[in-house]
Amino acid sequence: MKHTLIVLNEMKEKGLFRDYAIGGAMAALRWTEPFFTQDLDIFIILQKEIREDEIINLSALYEYLKNKGYEWSGQWIIIEGIPVEFIPAEGLAKEAVEYGVDIEFEGVKTRVVSPEYLIALFLSAGREKDKIKVRLLLDQADIDKEKLEIILRKYSLYNKFERFKDSG
Amino acid sequence: MDEDRIKIVLPDNRVITLKEFFEETERAHKELAKLSFEDKVRILVKLQEIARDWGQKKDVLVWKI
Repeated sequence: MKHTLIVLNEMKEKGLFRDYAIGGAMAALRWTEPFFTQDLDIFIILQKEIREDEIINLSALYEYLKNKGYEWSGQWIIIEGIPVEFIPAEGLAKEAVEYGVDIEFEGVKTRVVSPEYLIALFLSAGREKDKIKVRLLLDQADIDKEKLEIILRKYSLYNKFERFKDSG
Repeated sequence: MDEDRIKIVLPDNRVITLKEFFEETERAHKELAKLSFEDKVRILVKLQEIARDWGQKKDVLVWKI
């Protein structure tokens, strides 16, 4: 994992994306007890703003990794032994990257999405497996409730969150 | 079911109520959440190995960390 993060940091330094943060299940795992997952979701902010009608082109990023000898396995690119998925971040996800928490993993600097933004992102996705992670985060992570409410209201997720909490 | 009345014997021979048992389980989960990210990733790799070797997930990619 350490070497995967080193590659991601190099990519950021080379300008292949403006910023990144670990998202998805691995970010949740940072704040909860360990659970099974297979891939490392990396939310990236591209150098250029994404317009609504635009086709997102990550070919420069893929080309860079291909030239370094990394190979694909299904939807993942295996970077230093870890399946990575790059997810261009817009809106809520972009803000989640910008307000991510800077951490170190075995001495390598990286950034991870905060539990408050993760709850909003998982609620927004709304699949059963996402709801399980919301429950885990609410039970086990230190949540800034005020911050969470601001995010949920900003992205019209507050009512959904209330319904989720009521559902037990 | 009255969780206050039903008792359970733990491996260390302590006898606790079912309610206390559930509370201890909850606490244990919260303790796991406090592990370092590095330790959690090591546990994750073990879970991936279990899923590959014992479960029905022969296609699991076990991380090389």
